[in-house]
Amino acid sequence: MSITLDQVTKRYQGSPVVNDVSLEVGEGEFFVLLGPSGSGKSTLLRAIAGLTGVDHGRVALHGNDVTHVSARHRGVGFVFQNYALFRHMTVGENIEFALRVRRMRTEDRRQRRKELLRLVALEGMDDRLPTQLSGGQQQRVAVARALAHKPEVLLLDEPFGALDAKIREELRRTIRQVQRELKITTVLVTHDQEEAFALADRIGVMNLGRLLESGRPDELYDRPATRFVATFLGAANLLLAKQTEQGIRFGATPVNARRIEKLEGGREHEVVAVLRPEEIELAPTRDNLRTNYIATGVVEELVFTGALERIRVRMTSGPSDAHIGSNSHVDGHNTAAILDVTRTQHEQRVFPVVFGQSVAIGVRRIHVLPTPLSSYTVCAAETAAAERLSQHPFLIELAGRMKTRIAKRIDPALATCQGNAQTRISGVAVIAAQVKVAKQVEWLLWNGAAEVMVLPSQAVSPQRVLIHWADDAARRSTLAVAASLLRHVPAEAVYVGILPESRGGEGQRPLGVRTLLDARSEAQAVHGLEMRTELRFGAAAEELQRQLNEQVDQMLILGISDLSQLSREFAPLFAAPAAYSMMIVYRPARESDEQAASA
Amino acid sequence: MAGPGNSQELLAEIASRPGRDTVVSFVVKAAFITTSLLFLAALLFAPLITVFATALEKGFEIYFNSFKDSDTLAAIRLTLTVAAIVVPVNVVFGIAAAWSIAKFEFKGKSFLITMIDLPIAVSPVISGLIYVLLFGMQGWFGLWLQEHDISIIFAVPGIVLATMFVTFPYVARELIPLMQQLGNDEEEAAITLGAGGLMTFFHVTLPKIRWGLLYGVILSNARAMGEFGAVSVVSGHVRGVTTTMPLHIEILYQEYNFVGAFAVASLLTLLAVVTLIIKTLVEWRTGYKRK
Repeated sequence: MSITLDQVTKRYQGSPVVNDVSLEVGEGEFFVLLGPSGSGKSTLLRAIAGLTGVDHGRVALHGNDVTHVSARHRGVGFVFQNYALFRHMTVGENIEFALRVRRMRTEDRRQRRKELLRLVALEGMDDRLPTQLSGGQQQRVAVARALAHKPEVLLLDEPFGALDAKIREELRRTIRQVQRELKITTVLVTHDQEEAFALADRIGVMNLGRLLESGRPDELYDRPATRFVATFLGAANLLLAKQTEQGIRFGATPVNARRIEKLEGGREHEVVAVLRPEEIELAPTRDNLRTNYIATGVVEELVFTGALERIRVRMTSGPSDAHIGSNSHVDGHNTAAILDVTRTQHEQRVFPVVFGQSVAIGVRRIHVLPTPLSSYTVCAAETAAAERLSQHPFLIELAGRMKTRIAKRIDPALATCQGNAQTRISGVAVIAAQVKVAKQVEWLLWNGAAEVMVLPSQAVSPQRVLIHWADDAARRSTLAVAASLLRHVPAEAVYVGILPESRGGEGQRPLGVRTLLDARSEAQAVHGLEMRTELRFGAAAEELQRQLNEQVDQMLILGISDLSQLSREFAPLFAAPAAYSMMIVYRPARESDEQAASA
Repeated sequence: MAGPGNSQELLAEIASRPGRDTVVSFVVKAAFITTSLLFLAALLFAPLITVFATALEKGFEIYFNSFKDSDTLAAIRLTLTVAAIVVPVNVVFGIAAAWSIAKFEFKGKSFLITMIDLPIAVSPVISGLIYVLLFGMQGWFGLWLQEHDISIIFAVPGIVLATMFVTFPYVARELIPLMQQLGNDEEEAAITLGAGGLMTFFHVTLPKIRWGLLYGVILSNARAMGEFGAVSVVSGHVRGVTTTMPLHIEILYQEYNFVGAFAVASLLTLLAVVTLIIKTLVEWRTGYKRK
């Protein structure tokens, strides 16, 4: 491996800007780090170069640990967004700088300079000053300068940021060409997905300091694992659907799309479906569709963009309440179910549409995200309480980041926690922290909720998330929920393994450490979640409570596989209204076993 | 130099925009220019001419003879010595202060910025008195200094200290905005290319800030040679020993030696004019480079 990052963390004023990033970039690979501004991608790149120190983790170049090696001795080439050419030196002097530092002979320097200028197609520009060059030319000089000392790794920080579109494309081609010719391992940082697609062998998508997913561009586009990647790489319509044994169901409409990918797990549950705009078909009636019908709709907007036609269709029937795209309102009043559709010239000729026309909507391919957290349902006994809870800042922040909706459910039965709910609860149930919270959690889980989130009124976005499960049967599902949640929260993840004190204490340590390592590697391998581990001794509930009270801004994710565990083992956690938020994950033991078996 | 450089660019840009003449009529423009020119003539050019006129009143011979006076020569020598000590020290301090303010975040940063401005805000007389209070006979260190036979007040070291105090904001004030504006990228680039600290400083940072630095040096030098108030308090006016040029001019004037006083004054004025010319050249040069 050319570049190896192991759990790299960089904090700024306490909160992590790069959060537990592990990454391997192969020899000669062109890796693009893609993310919105503030996602920590530039900081990560600077950490590789040594321009920024890391607070935790290791950086290795070609197998050598360089975590504590200064930028000067790492021997990487770095290209800055605003070129950072030495403005008082000519192009030639700029390029020769690294060689002069290394006291190379004058003739050899000349020779190398000529080679490099040819490589970036700037022959004969040696004696110009940077100010006499255009932006594109300056960045070419910067690339040549970064390559002068034959670095084994080339790092580019938004190199096209300050250039206009045409020059950008030209320079992009040059850089790709140079990279192929030299076979140099390259990491490029950008926020432009088009750029990432054009250049990358592999793309890593970052958000909130975490590396969410990495993979080949086509893989990431076709099978994203997270909402963020689905919507950041290209456009995507996100819809809530029910996964049943027969397939996907939007509201009451079952879809038998041929190319629906199967998801493991037998029980019917809510999932998030990704519909790419180009995979949606429009036809005058349902019978004219050549693909699976999902709904009817009305054309709301029509934009001609040359090769493609962009259409926005408002769904009038079918899964109109299932839409969770970014344009739907969180308060639930306006679940404006708008689908983005793009059509080629050919499709336009086959079925021309006009503004306001009614159409049948079909879909060629649906991708189901493997996330266990689909939507939030605020549960309360009366309307006012539900209204208040649905305005909770942390919940709104979380739902906004997850691009999902917050539904409200008023269930008077919640006050007494007696009897059964009329309908099964789907999505994450959210309740306010109060005295009777233990009973409510139990009731909700009994009535079909798979996750319950307990929110104290003053809870904020946590800095640290503790993860714990009661027994091994709950491990898998707890990790899945934790991974899904932590992709949307800029917090550190810590798995707390707790062994009973009575049984030999220290003698248990090897077993405990083993459990921790297993948990960590499973989180990493199956869910792409990087987490720390801590081993404690004592009673689980007291130990967790003690840690949660140590500092503010923490959250607990607790996994159980049996409802009785709540009152038997974790009662102290619910005894008094807590200051920290909690997510209780419940999968009945039988179901977990099945999942484990099928996996 | 960031301030003037920027506003010049801005003005140039505004001037190139269409419609710039529509608001201001010719009359207003002429009135403004005439007012400022008249003001300049009355307050600046007239005194300047008087200095040279009075100095040369009795012919060139007497004018040049007044420089043959040993006390006058000593005053010139002292002034140049003080400037030669103060300016380099200010350069080192100015770069260090500007660097730490522009490149690092630390506690007490805003306090440091305020402190750098202090000498400009405080009256020069007070600046001188501070040193008298510290090192004078009745001062904090007075007794100790006397025991060790070190004289600071009413001697050259006192003059150097007072001058340094008065002049030290100039270099730092010039460099702080410049360094903040230029950022760290070039230095970082140099480091990734393998350059060490010294090489980065001399080959990248120093060339980058050289015009701003020179401008600061010029201002600092002008003040160092012309300072009267602070120096007057600490010098003790010992003729030929602790009088700098401005002090010597005053002494000559008090003795009704107008030609002598104005001759030295004209020399000081010439130094100032030369400094201004260099400053203008630097400004022109930086403006040109900034394009």
